[in-house]
Amino acid sequence: MKITRILCRGLLIAIAVICSPPAAAAEPIRVVLELVPDIDNGRRSFEICARCHLPEAWGNDDGTYPQLAGQHVNVLMKQLLDIRSGRRANPAMQPFVQQRTIGGYQDLADVVAYISTLPMNPDHVKGPWPPDSSEYLEGRSLYSQHCAGCHGATGEGNNGPSYPRLQGQHYEYMARQARLVRDNLRQIKPSMAALLGALSAEDFDKVLNYVSYLPVPQADLAPSADWRNPDFQ
Amino acid sequence: MSNPDKLSRRRFIQAGGAALAGSAFGATPATATAATAGDAKQPTAPALHKLLRKAAIPASRGARVVVVGGGWSGLTMAKYLKRFNPAFDVVLIDRQSAFVSFPVSNAWLADQVTLEFLSHSFFEAANNHGYLFMQATALGFDFESRRVYTEQGYVEYDYLVLAPGIEYDYSRIGVDDTEAQNLLFHRYPGGFVTSSELLTIKQKIHRFKGGTFVLTVPNGDYRCSAAPYERACMVAAVFKRRRISAKVLLLDMNSEITIKKAGFSRAFEQLYGDFIEYLPSSEISSVDIEGRRVVTEFDEFPFDDAIIYPPVRASSLIEEAGIDNPQDSQKAANTDPFRYHLVDDERVYVTGDSRSQPFSKGGHTAHSEAQYVAEVIAAHALGREVRWRSPQTMCFSAVDIEPLRAMSIITYYKFDKQSGLFAFDRTHLMDKWDTQGGQASLAWAEGMYRDMFYL
Repeated sequence: MKITRILCRGLLIAIAVICSPPAAAAEPIRVVLELVPDIDNGRRSFEICARCHLPEAWGNDDGTYPQLAGQHVNVLMKQLLDIRSGRRANPAMQPFVQQRTIGGYQDLADVVAYISTLPMNPDHVKGPWPPDSSEYLEGRSLYSQHCAGCHGATGEGNNGPSYPRLQGQHYEYMARQARLVRDNLRQIKPSMAALLGALSAEDFDKVLNYVSYLPVPQADLAPSADWRNPDFQ
Repeated sequence: MSNPDKLSRRRFIQAGGAALAGSAFGATPATATAATAGDAKQPTAPALHKLLRKAAIPASRGARVVVVGGGWSGLTMAKYLKRFNPAFDVVLIDRQSAFVSFPVSNAWLADQVTLEFLSHSFFEAANNHGYLFMQATALGFDFESRRVYTEQGYVEYDYLVLAPGIEYDYSRIGVDDTEAQNLLFHRYPGGFVTSSELLTIKQKIHRFKGGTFVLTVPNGDYRCSAAPYERACMVAAVFKRRRISAKVLLLDMNSEITIKKAGFSRAFEQLYGDFIEYLPSSEISSVDIEGRRVVTEFDEFPFDDAIIYPPVRASSLIEEAGIDNPQDSQKAANTDPFRYHLVDDERVYVTGDSRSQPFSKGGHTAHSEAQYVAEVIAAHALGREVRWRSPQTMCFSAVDIEPLRAMSIITYYKFDKQSGLFAFDRTHLMDKWDTQGGQASLAWAEGMYRDMFYL
């Protein structure tokens, strides 16, 4: 099985710096860094992450940790930067992604590149309504109507604009994050909150159920749920 | 349970003497506190009548949840109760005026973090998270009329969460006499219950002139299984840095190092070969306080100074309230193992280190557990249920200073239906101590404080 895949050559990070005095109506300044990840260094840095996320980065079935394996590098990077800055509230994780703990932008780029090489959990947790149930089928049509445009027909996401890959994410985690976004407790694109907010409670549940069943390409999966990351054995 | 009022008084009196001295994260060993209970059937002194008044706190503006004990469990509980149900009126009660973190305190003993890093304000936590902090000592409970008694009067509850933590059980190292227990506690504190113990221990280490410094590791399900070994390393590191002729004699009541064995063994050998002597299977049978000797089954160990960490038990508040499980050797509460409420009262929950489940006692376990139980209580108020999830135990251990080097272990728990027991699940040990682990251990602590107090 191919664990290390050819990765994107460079990783782009865009940082919007907003100079603070509001009276001056300062323009955002966009700084773009292009970094070539060093996977070996990423593996070493990942030792910090693995202490909680575990070496496989497969997440928890109870939704307390997400599956990170297989996620797009730009999506992972955006989360690290948002948590680092406090834009995404995660008090327990925030100190781990500071310069003093994990390092600078290069180290962040290295670690996300390493994570993206990990095979995915072949047995992630799915929602209550199995394929071919009426709820599943309704969820599917809601998905294609509202979500597929950005997240892709099979939930593959899009690395360029940092649209998360939805395939393989634990149902409980996805449902919790979607609720936070809908209720404006996690700030992402306003359009996303509006879209989730417009769904009825029933439709909301159905579409999240469907998302949990989006098929993950076989090549991206670990051979079994017993697979353990050999880098940490 | 026919006459709640009478019963509440009786229970209150029973609990009174003991709990005045040692309640939430109590100050003194459990068995040292029964002295003043007396035989009075009715309280007559004006002071006691005062205690039976309603406490002067704002009237509740919603279903009131009273949380007893402001440790890692209670603080997390209070925050997440408000998070999961903003309509709850949450009151956190602790007898102490400020919080000092026991996790990472060993690194503080060796000057790797400041006391400011460990110390946090209950007011700050309450203000930031929208609950009320009441500095008071819980004395006893009336489960019929749903009251918590404190020295400032009683507080009524709709839900009650008891997170009063542990107490030392000196009787299990052969020290049965109350006075002797108090003396041992004051002279050679274990450093796992009150902050004065920690301050005392730091003085001891930094002023030690040389000779034998005894540390003990209790048996049973004690608080923070790795901490006594970590502490041996930190104490030895200070002696080494001070270049004094001193030996840490680590008397372990267990037959081997109970956790992170390879990592600690390597540290004892490679870093502290001249400073730490490790003696497993040291079943302590008594302590000669004046003569400064620890007595085991086959031996006697004279010491110049010591930190005596005896086995522990659940807070005596649990036993005095009559809600302990008589089968449990550590007097933990008789609760539903998945929903955490008393077996016969769904309005009273017990969490943290006085829980009945055999989860590893310590800050992180209590923190992750409390988030789940807060969700259980919020759901109960709405007539809903939450799927059980395992607590998470994350445990860092520092072994070296300058630079700080640490190792870690993480584990979950699963319930085995066949045996009816909990077992470890998805355990991941990183026992190569390094500076990355050292940094991670501080980041971990900072993240926990942020969560409990600030964000």
